[in-house]
Amino acid sequence: MVEKIKAELGAALGGVEIRETEYRERGYHLSCEASPGELLKAARFFDECGFYLAAIVCVDYREYLELVYIFANHSALCKTKVTLKLDPAKPAAPTLSAIFDCAYWHEREIREFYGVLFDGHPNLTYLFLHEGIDAYPLRKEQVLLADEDKKALGAFRPEEGEDTFFVNLGPQHPSTHGVLRVVLKMDGEYIQSAEPVLGYLHRMHEKMAENRSYLQFLPNPSRMDYLGAMSFNLGHVTAVERLCGIAVPDRANCVRVIATELNRISSHLLWLGAYLADLGALTPFLFVFDDREQINDVLEAVTGSRLTYCYFRFGGLYNDVDEAFIAGTKAFIERMRGRFGLYEKLVGGNVIFINRTRGIGVIEKERARKYAVSGPVLRGAGIAMDMRKAEPCAAYSEMDFDIPVGTRGDALDMYRVRVREMGTALDIIEQALARLPDGPVMAEKVPKKLKPPKGDLYHTVETPRGELGIYIVSDESDRPYRMKWRVPSFSNLMIFPELARGNLLADAVAILGSLDLVIPEIDR
Amino acid sequence: MLAGLGVTIRAMFQPVVTSQYPRQLLAISPRFRGHIKLLADADNPDKNGCIACGICVRNCPSGSIKDIEGEKREGEKRKTATSYRLDFTTCSQCGICVETCPSNAIDFSADYNPAGFKREDFHYDLVKEFEKRKKSS
Amino acid sequence: MEKIISIMGWETVKTIVGLVGVLIFVVFNALILTWAERKVAGHMQRRIGPKEVGPFGLIQPIADAIKLLGKEILTPREVDRPLYWLAPVLIFVPVLVSFVVIPFDASLQVRDMNAGILVILAFSSLSVLSILMAGWGSNNKYALIGAIRSVAQNIAYEIPLLLALLPVIMMANSFSLKAIVEAQQGLWFVVCQPIAFFIYFIAAVAETNRTPFDLPEAESELVAGYHTEYSGMRFALFFLAEYTNIFIVSAIAVTFFLGGYQGPFLPGIVWFLLKSYCLVFVIIWLRWTYPRVRFDQLLNLSWKALIPLAFINLLVTGGLLKL
Repeated sequence: MVEKIKAELGAALGGVEIRETEYRERGYHLSCEASPGELLKAARFFDECGFYLAAIVCVDYREYLELVYIFANHSALCKTKVTLKLDPAKPAAPTLSAIFDCAYWHEREIREFYGVLFDGHPNLTYLFLHEGIDAYPLRKEQVLLADEDKKALGAFRPEEGEDTFFVNLGPQHPSTHGVLRVVLKMDGEYIQSAEPVLGYLHRMHEKMAENRSYLQFLPNPSRMDYLGAMSFNLGHVTAVERLCGIAVPDRANCVRVIATELNRISSHLLWLGAYLADLGALTPFLFVFDDREQINDVLEAVTGSRLTYCYFRFGGLYNDVDEAFIAGTKAFIERMRGRFGLYEKLVGGNVIFINRTRGIGVIEKERARKYAVSGPVLRGAGIAMDMRKAEPCAAYSEMDFDIPVGTRGDALDMYRVRVREMGTALDIIEQALARLPDGPVMAEKVPKKLKPPKGDLYHTVETPRGELGIYIVSDESDRPYRMKWRVPSFSNLMIFPELARGNLLADAVAILGSLDLVIPEIDR
Repeated sequence: MLAGLGVTIRAMFQPVVTSQYPRQLLAISPRFRGHIKLLADADNPDKNGCIACGICVRNCPSGSIKDIEGEKREGEKRKTATSYRLDFTTCSQCGICVETCPSNAIDFSADYNPAGFKREDFHYDLVKEFEKRKKSS
Repeated sequence: MEKIISIMGWETVKTIVGLVGVLIFVVFNALILTWAERKVAGHMQRRIGPKEVGPFGLIQPIADAIKLLGKEILTPREVDRPLYWLAPVLIFVPVLVSFVVIPFDASLQVRDMNAGILVILAFSSLSVLSILMAGWGSNNKYALIGAIRSVAQNIAYEIPLLLALLPVIMMANSFSLKAIVEAQQGLWFVVCQPIAFFIYFIAAVAETNRTPFDLPEAESELVAGYHTEYSGMRFALFFLAEYTNIFIVSAIAVTFFLGGYQGPFLPGIVWFLLKSYCLVFVIIWLRWTYPRVRFDQLLNLSWKALIPLAFINLLVTGGLLKL
């Protein structure tokens, strides 16, 4: 696959040098440097080959700005990095939003954090930041916003039409689980258009990362996605380990899998409860909390926290698990297996629930690719893509599990995929428990101050919500030069306006819920 | 439809799973992460183990640890902390201070319900807390 | 006393005394029901529910009522004042009137009218007016959407409600509630009219805006629906009306289908309340089990399923009675 893409891309771009890179170190197979015209050609080429645009990252190298495009494929492991150098005084690039829909938001983000103008982008307005920002925050040197920049960025104003009105779904709204605001343009009960407004929980974790050592950034990832904290923690430590070439003991890898999967179940459970609460049934919410408490108890005994875990360390674990943890996990597996029947009776078999979700928010495979959705949403759409299988970290490569997929891509499929995923997570935990080796949980000789070699890395892990991509640029110091978090909910939310259009208000809530968004993760 | 009703009515006659918090306390797990506390010196339980080296101050991601002062008492090789201020309002209990402490003088407390009316209520002086604990025990 | 009676007439005095009694009952019933709802919900979710105030938390509703009474009466700036003020008061009128004709026992009835059920149905249609007033007067989009949903819903479900009651009226040959109860001495109408009972019950749940038909106040979509802008005692009045309505629809169901106050050994009033509260329990039970239906599904259910079914049932009943 890599060879084939290399040859075909070379032919499509005509004369541009395409380098093969060491995937184990860099997280991508091919890289090339393109001009704006070549970038568009490359994007069209990848679109035709059925690739998706995983992330767009901007890095400020002071002498120049660099746009990094990561193209990846759902069915085969083949990642390509295409870079585009920009003039820092007047950065401008062509937009890819006409080819890949997901570029629409990524480019808005870069516009507001770096001031890059994307020619032909339909709506370059504020995404996260609102009034009160004077300089582009992620530039290494202070670059002030010109007045026209401010005006252009603040151009989004909802306007009421003759027969339409606006309804704010959020930010203080019970069904948005956090502070997401969606401005719905309504015609009666029907939605004409939906525009998510982000940034109410924006904390600029990416800037924080540049200002603290790798170790000091440890508590931050779990604050991005507080429900899948373990996965984010795992993503951070495995990325840095990969960058520094630290080998992790087997026992630690197994425990990592157990802890992450327990956390995945707890996240899916909470989603189940919250989704049903969105649809008006409040009892499942309390039932799932009963189950979640068991997970929290088990995890608290080893990690010390119940929600924002900070358990993994570079080279291993914070501390070893004991017999009580293993017994507790086994007891939980036993209990959880018996609970699926109850949820099926209470939720899955309920006619009202099925009618509310069947055929609602249908995501076709092609649309899923264009928007680069991931996780259960992608699998619900019928694409069997799971980073635990595609790019296994920790001990996932040794686990045997299948990837549940949906057939119709509607909200009901998302529900079924998530419930079955809880089952596969239980299987994975059982396997990991069975092969849990003895030994140390911390690698020897991990330096106190990590100074990874110069270079970049695009590392992905599967969180409960989908593909988490971490792009790190290291300049040999103990702090990352740039750390970009490509978060799953961000991409998953992007598809919402299209799904909501033409549907009822009640459906919008059902669709928003089926995407399983965690807002602090989107806002970072 | 009816199966769902069955689930809820059965749940109604099952015992409750909640615990009535102020009246009924759960056991705090030994690894629970409360705010940090100073431990006693391994050789001399009367004084705290902090040697006022400042490694935790440098490593704290949120700058929550401040004003560590120590004095060298007679006949001892190392300093002993006389002041150790923790701003708990910005602490995220990551535990980096606990792990990096060279004299293993820091640990998490099991204080799970600190409450106060103003921010200053959570500015702890850990040396004073240590002395208080010593007196009460 | 006798003088008053002679001036105003026995019937008037009875009505006034009855109304006062009804008022007390309404408040008492709402207090009990809020407590029961929270307690049932709690146990269905494997919690305890209220327990702090009084034994088993029985005094909790009174504490809540005092809290609501003690709140400042807020009027948002942009509201349509007359409508906004009148709505919570108006929602209470049909509730009171309905109680007048319900026979709690053979002799415990404020007024036995020969058009009893018509009075209830006519006045209960009024409650939708006050919901509309509240929604429109609040000058709030969520409230307005909630109110509009409520109107559509109430219109759609009043028809099957009435159609479900008609066969019983035909069988009892009277509109008077008391006569209907008396007609069930041998056999409860639920036995010969199970379909009508089923339709009535669904329509009744929808009429009272309860889950799974609680669209006018769907909290995940519309914040709190038509009473979004209400607080304090005004909000409490809506609340009171909702719980009273639950009791009324259950009471009518008992009167029409479950033999009213009739039953062995125990006094009639006990039987009546027992049966009514059993039905109320079922309504609460439904709420804590099911999710909410969607607006179009709600209307489809009424127009495409319940109404045709009710018509067929009515025709069959009519035909059988003729034979």
